[in-house]
Amino acid sequence: MVKYLSKEWAELAKKKVLTELDKARDLKNMNTSLLNIIQNVPPDNKTMYFYIKFIEGNLEELITSSDESIKQKNAEITATGDYTTFVQISSGQMSSAMALLKNRLKMTNKMKALTITKPIDTFNGCIKGIQTEY
Amino acid sequence: MNLSDVLETTKKEPHCGLCKIDFLGTGVCSAGKKHGFVAYWPEGRMELARALAENEVEPSVALLDVVNSCNLCGVCDRQCYFITQRRPTKAQQALKDYVTTLPPNSLKSTPEDEIVKDLRTIVGNNWATNDPIIIASYIRSIIKQKSLGKYYIVMPQTTEEIVAIVKLANKYKIPYLPRGNGTFFGVALQTLLAEPATIEQGIIIDLWRMKDLHVDPETITATIGPGVTSFELQKAAHAHKLRANVAEAESCVCANAQNLGIVTTWSNTYGWGTDNFIDAEYIDSTGTIQHLSDKDIPNPYASEQGLLSLSLIPSVIITKLTLKLHEILDDEQAVFVPFTTLPEALDLAHELAKRNIGISLAVLSRKYLTEFISPTHEIAEDFNFIAEKYLKLNYVVDVICDAQNKKIVEELAEVSFDHAMLKSLILGSSKLASMKESSLLKTIAEEENPLKAVFGGPMRKHFEKGLASSPQELAKVFPEDLRDFFEKLYSKPELTNPVWLHSFRILPCRMERKHMWMYRGGYMPGDKKTILKVIDALEKPAQTYNIDGAFGFLSYLERGKLAHLEYDYYYDHTDPDARKRVNKAIVESWRRQFAIKGVTPLEFICSKGLHRKEHILYPFLPGLSEEELEHFEELIETLFGGEDTW
Repeated sequence: MVKYLSKEWAELAKKKVLTELDKARDLKNMNTSLLNIIQNVPPDNKTMYFYIKFIEGNLEELITSSDESIKQKNAEITATGDYTTFVQISSGQMSSAMALLKNRLKMTNKMKALTITKPIDTFNGCIKGIQTEY
Repeated sequence: MNLSDVLETTKKEPHCGLCKIDFLGTGVCSAGKKHGFVAYWPEGRMELARALAENEVEPSVALLDVVNSCNLCGVCDRQCYFITQRRPTKAQQALKDYVTTLPPNSLKSTPEDEIVKDLRTIVGNNWATNDPIIIASYIRSIIKQKSLGKYYIVMPQTTEEIVAIVKLANKYKIPYLPRGNGTFFGVALQTLLAEPATIEQGIIIDLWRMKDLHVDPETITATIGPGVTSFELQKAAHAHKLRANVAEAESCVCANAQNLGIVTTWSNTYGWGTDNFIDAEYIDSTGTIQHLSDKDIPNPYASEQGLLSLSLIPSVIITKLTLKLHEILDDEQAVFVPFTTLPEALDLAHELAKRNIGISLAVLSRKYLTEFISPTHEIAEDFNFIAEKYLKLNYVVDVICDAQNKKIVEELAEVSFDHAMLKSLILGSSKLASMKESSLLKTIAEEENPLKAVFGGPMRKHFEKGLASSPQELAKVFPEDLRDFFEKLYSKPELTNPVWLHSFRILPCRMERKHMWMYRGGYMPGDKKTILKVIDALEKPAQTYNIDGAFGFLSYLERGKLAHLEYDYYYDHTDPDARKRVNKAIVESWRRQFAIKGVTPLEFICSKGLHRKEHILYPFLPGLSEEELEHFEELIETLFGGEDTW
């Protein structure tokens, strides 16, 4: 069991995606970078960041951080929401698209996000398998 | 009487919520008025009877209170029969009988938890609950059927109480969702929109108690709380000879304004969305009170457009709305121009819209006309048959205007009818239905132009005489014990006055007498070619999936530059197969509508009612490309799963 958004969790997530997902079949050779801005993270309601970058379906980076300098990576898409929403997404209870419809996520560059709905959903489906302490 | 004896009725309960307003002058359910929670209103009792019959909820002590609070006075039967031909007292009687079958002392109270304790501290002990019985009455009108989530219902009375509730929800990290009268949810929750339109657990904020209503005749405005319904606002406005641009009688004005911006037949002159709203007080997700007029907030009118702007849950809770009212003219009259084909009707209506003729202007379908004015669904079906087969009456250009403009419409139209004929059709609808096989109608059908023969020619007198219309005649179609009431009701001038009926909008829920419906359509450029393309885009999926689809009404906005279309899919929402088919038809209709330039399906206006329409509809977006439509399908699959799961 690893703590959600910890370095250990990020390591496991990266390993799981690299070993279990096929870059063409599952990740559709996508090229994108996505910064999740996770607000009100307990216990002290701070903001955390979860950044991923794919090139041709290869997971190049998967980073969690509390340092806002990560914004300098200028992710192509940003998704901002509450901790509870991201827990629901990462644990497979809700897709990020559904969170968007429910007004629980704010997203930039939605048109690009539309084109990667399916592989991102597959990505989330993969990392939900990590034994996580939320 | 067993709960199963009334299951057929309770399952079809459409949750229109009209029982909460005094739209017939009968008064309303005294228990509902006292206790507020939906469980104490006729619609809630119907839902409870269904949920108990289908083992979706266990009885608790609260059930006794709900059941005993009803004295079977019968007010709800009069209201509900007028609209949906249902008799809620039967469900209530079944509930009373059911309670007597429960072993004595078997019912337990629901223990308070920390959240409900805190909610009660905010609103008082009587206005917050975690009791499953009270919660069950909200199923299908804000809570998804068979949801396993833990819910609370709270009924605040002030803005400050809502602030405290939002902060409490944030403290416990649970979602919350406001509920006006549940009319939108009543329709959406039967479809694949159920998941995105509601919350999976958390606090339902029932706004019914927030009924502040102030009309200022000097500024010709009204300021209202979120519990005020369209009927209540219209009544208050009419007392000052003013009119509000409001949706159906039962809908809460603030919720409707926020959700869809309130587009009506009156939008031809009164406009839509922010054309009518002056200011709104609202509470954001942090529990902060803000106003549309605050100078330091981000631009409240800016909005995203198109496919990815879908958001069915509002980001703020409106707690006060100030809106424009409009003066009622002394010489307002109705004129109806009947047509056999839609293009002809669109031509006339568009011409009138461009010239700003018609305070209220719409193209109405045969289906709406016959369903709205007929006292029962069976009569409506016969009337519909007669209109189509004999009269060749398929569409009506429906105009409310001043006397001068009425003359213009009558001059432009080959044939028209007005208040007097509509009154004859309303009061004579049962007689008309009985004439289905009559020689008079067959003779009319043989005329070269049956519409002209009936509404403009020498046969008009015979036709009207044949209807023998009167409240006494009409009352015969109602159950015997309700006849006196309905005879008196239909003797009231407003029940046959088209101007009053257009203002107060008490009839549209008659669409729900037999089946549930799903609103399709949306906004589009006002040219005929686009409108017909959109209708085709909505008709095709209905045909493909064997859904009864029908044009509803079309109104023009901005002098005909834009049009708003309602097309409906009718289906039996208690039939899982019909629900699957309607869901497939919804998705297919989105796909087809998005391929047309400038078209915004209705759902994509949701939660944007307070944004300026200029930000939502302009510029007209190009239709989606094939590639984009493929991504759209992937999005739908991600959201709702594959077709088999719908």
